[in-house]
Amino acid sequence: MTAPASEHTISRAGKYLSFFLDSEEYGVEILKVQEIIGMLPITRVPRVPHFVRGVINLRGKVISIVDLRAKFGMPSVDAVESCIIVVQLQGVHLGVLVDRVSEVKAIGIEEIADPPSFGTEVDTEFLLGIAKGAGRVTLLLDIDRVLTAAEVLDLKQLS
Amino acid sequence: MWHALKYLPLEPTLQNAHASLARHQPFGQLPLSVTDPRSMPRKKSRTPDSSSTQPDDAGVPVPPDTAAGAGYDVDSSLADSPAARSDTAVDMSDHGEQFVIDDVATLLVQLEVADTTELERVRAALMRLARETDDLDAAFALGGAATQVAAAAAGEDEVIRAASLARANRLLEDAMSRLDSAASATVRSTGEAASGRTVPAQRSTLDSVISPLPDGELDLMAAMAEDPAWAEVAEELAAEELVAQAVAMHRSGDWPVISEDSRAVAAQSDALVLPDDIDVDLLRDFIAESRDWIDGAEAALLALEHDPDDEESINTVFRAFHTIKGTAGFMGLSGISNFAHHAESLLSRVRDREIAFEGNCANLSLRATDMLATMLVSVEEALDGGSLEVPEEHDALMQALIRLEQGDVAGSLAALEGSASGSEHDATPVDPRSSDRLQGEQRQDDQRQDDQRQGDRRQGDRRQGDRRQGERRQDGDAERSVRVRTERLDRLIDMVGELVIAQSMISQDPSLLSGRDQVLGVKVAHAAKLVRDLQDLTMSMRMVPLKPTFQKLARLVRDLAQKAGKQVELVTEGEETEIDRNMVDIVGDPLVHMVRNAIDHGLETPAERLAVGKSATGTLRLRAYHAGANVCVDLEDDGRGLNRTKILDRARERGLVANDKHLSDSEAFELIFAPGFSTADAVTDLSGRGVGMDVVKRNVESLRGRIDIASEAGQGSTFSIRLPLTLAITDGMLVRVGGERYIVPTTAIHMSFRPERSTLSTVNGRGEVVLLRDELMPIIRVHRLFDIQGAVADPAEGILMIVGDQEKRTAILVDELLGQHQLVVKSLGGNLGVVPGVSGAAILGDGRVGLILDVVGLVALARARCGDSSDSERNAA
Repeated sequence: MTAPASEHTISRAGKYLSFFLDSEEYGVEILKVQEIIGMLPITRVPRVPHFVRGVINLRGKVISIVDLRAKFGMPSVDAVESCIIVVQLQGVHLGVLVDRVSEVKAIGIEEIADPPSFGTEVDTEFLLGIAKGAGRVTLLLDIDRVLTAAEVLDLKQLS
Repeated sequence: MWHALKYLPLEPTLQNAHASLARHQPFGQLPLSVTDPRSMPRKKSRTPDSSSTQPDDAGVPVPPDTAAGAGYDVDSSLADSPAARSDTAVDMSDHGEQFVIDDVATLLVQLEVADTTELERVRAALMRLARETDDLDAAFALGGAATQVAAAAAGEDEVIRAASLARANRLLEDAMSRLDSAASATVRSTGEAASGRTVPAQRSTLDSVISPLPDGELDLMAAMAEDPAWAEVAEELAAEELVAQAVAMHRSGDWPVISEDSRAVAAQSDALVLPDDIDVDLLRDFIAESRDWIDGAEAALLALEHDPDDEESINTVFRAFHTIKGTAGFMGLSGISNFAHHAESLLSRVRDREIAFEGNCANLSLRATDMLATMLVSVEEALDGGSLEVPEEHDALMQALIRLEQGDVAGSLAALEGSASGSEHDATPVDPRSSDRLQGEQRQDDQRQDDQRQGDRRQGDRRQGDRRQGERRQDGDAERSVRVRTERLDRLIDMVGELVIAQSMISQDPSLLSGRDQVLGVKVAHAAKLVRDLQDLTMSMRMVPLKPTFQKLARLVRDLAQKAGKQVELVTEGEETEIDRNMVDIVGDPLVHMVRNAIDHGLETPAERLAVGKSATGTLRLRAYHAGANVCVDLEDDGRGLNRTKILDRARERGLVANDKHLSDSEAFELIFAPGFSTADAVTDLSGRGVGMDVVKRNVESLRGRIDIASEAGQGSTFSIRLPLTLAITDGMLVRVGGERYIVPTTAIHMSFRPERSTLSTVNGRGEVVLLRDELMPIIRVHRLFDIQGAVADPAEGILMIVGDQEKRTAILVDELLGQHQLVVKSLGGNLGVVPGVSGAAILGDGRVGLILDVVGLVALARARCGDSSDSERNAA
């Protein structure tokens, strides 16, 4: 894949909240994140895509929880450190279930490379890019793509 | 283009003038001689000096320039202060004819384009010349010149003003040449020939009028006519000229009316303009407030129709228009201000008993309130980025208002009514959906607005007997209520819900229940009481009375009855019945449909009614009341009732019912809810297209409500809607299925029981049924539908809940019942959209989310899963 336009690269630079799924580190743009909450009892919702864990009560508001492991085809495990990242997408709140939240880090343009077309467990269309720094690789998620309503609906129809 | 027009022969010119008039005012037949201004009292003039109509000391009867004054004065809100103009008029008449003509000359020499007072003096002088000149062509030209001067006074910028003056100049030139050639030109004498003015005298006057207008402006005018960007302005000016010409020809006196109209036409182009420096928040407040006023005015107008002498109602309407006018003017919305001004003027004459409030006056006033509401919507849309559009009917309505308001009370009322009603049918046909559409818009707006606003409105509506009190009302409202954003209110309700849960968790805490610390127990109990009160209070904030909804229906009934040529009296009861804010908007739609149906199909025409021995006026009874945890709204008419035979015939025709099947009355009536079902022989404007009743039913059911019909042939029908008080709280049965808990709305459950094993059987090896009181019902297993592990699989060990309608009862298998709870209903959050079998979510006592089962959806789901086996089972049984 050829290098994209420089504007695209610049727009990818910024602060990311990094978290883990298994041993892989992912990043999500900090501006999309509303809050991080600990694990709450999740109410299962029938007949929804498998990666929708269910719904929780977030201070009186019902929000749905997407299990990112299930979404990415990893086996579902409830780790001790599991937590929910609440993101806001197009005015809708959604919870993203991850294994462990790591840190907030600033990622510069020079660290970001385009995603390879294969080789990760994640479908590359969900990736903004890959950040390489301090000997670690962080997969920068395009969380909008991961969680768009359209996609959820598509999958619902398939299931 | 005016060159061409100017030299047209007389007849075509007049035709053009008429065409132009017709173009600008859809009242095609607007009479060119409505009233004689001389006989018209000068209603609009607020000049303390009445000498303007008195003969001057020279004994020359001053041709009443009241006409000019009146014509102009009505428009006072358009341009400059009315005081200056009145002064001018008085000033002129005080000094007599000769002064005016000299004055014109002097004034025009020093003509300042920006000086509107001077321009007005010139205009008045030109008008007088036009009126007094016997030469028709010259009179045309002079009238046109006067109009151009007026346009110059009202013109928005230098270019337009200069252009108008240049036009005036040209017309004057024309007039002069006419006067020169007409050797026999004489001065028309209104009293005696003492003025002795001759053509040369006029000639010199006109010369001096023309001279100050620079040639450059003539060039500018020519350029303007060529330039497409200016073509519109130019065209408008030309139209004005034609109007003025027609006016001048009929200088027996009706020109002020026309010139007024033409000015109104000129004013339309900027009828709705958002000022640049607008304060958006302020404007939104203004819009919301004005809506309240409009609603109040509408209610009062309807009340006025029943009791035209109700002074408080007149005042309410008057105040509404007055307030809107004032505030709109302050906001810089001259279009709205101007319109409200005319509406106000009309009402002020009603108040002063100069016009009787009836027929066209009532229609016009109501349409004026609609128009103001529409204009507000337009402004609001413009604020949200939409385009600012002057509603279609605006111009027509404006002129209708002006004419009615100008009309001589005693003499010309009949003529006005004739022309006004003509205009009504020709220019502005009543769109049966327009009020509906308006409601729709308002409804949307209502949703954006907050609860308090509705509270406001309620207060605004309540007409108070005491007039003084009424006048203070606006201030009082401001003190009594605060506008709160809807999101904040919802958030508050959410938070209180959470507080209740947190509180109950504390109350249930084992360390407290052990009773070791009694003091703490008392404190917690106290806190619990406060929290409960707080919850009640927040919940009540969501409740609003049905009154605004009923009020809109009252208006609808009035309009529809008129349209359908039926006499309908609407009786409302229980308007103060409260219902959840979110529901009040949704319940409006079905009611509109039902009212429409009742008037179009239900009630008979007066003749038909009399023929069967009923009173000519049909009664529509709208009744709201609380019944338990429900709100009931009944719509009762005393019309012909539902035609059972016709319904059945139509249903069999369409294959909805088997030919040999016998149906009970309620079953037969139920058929009218089928989509596309209509028994109407002809589709009318009002209804009969067969969309409607199915929408009604769907809407009501979406609110977890029910609709019933009772009807007796010849006696009338009653449609009863039964709705839950609020969608926010529901009584639910908490049930357990495996490890999951679900909520089933209590209203959906007929009964629950643990079945005897002997009553269970399997049909065709597929579907399971249970026999209860000689009735076979299919069993739906929730655990199977929802794929829940570890649930009770044997119905004899679980609980069956009987749900569904009389005809389609179904048993739902759950593990156990956990108890009945009042639950706060939430939508299923995020982007889950619609989940089949689940209607929503609720926060349970432990803070977790519980899903509310959608019984109907569940049954449909089960059907879909096992084909239509349950149906075949039932048929087999």
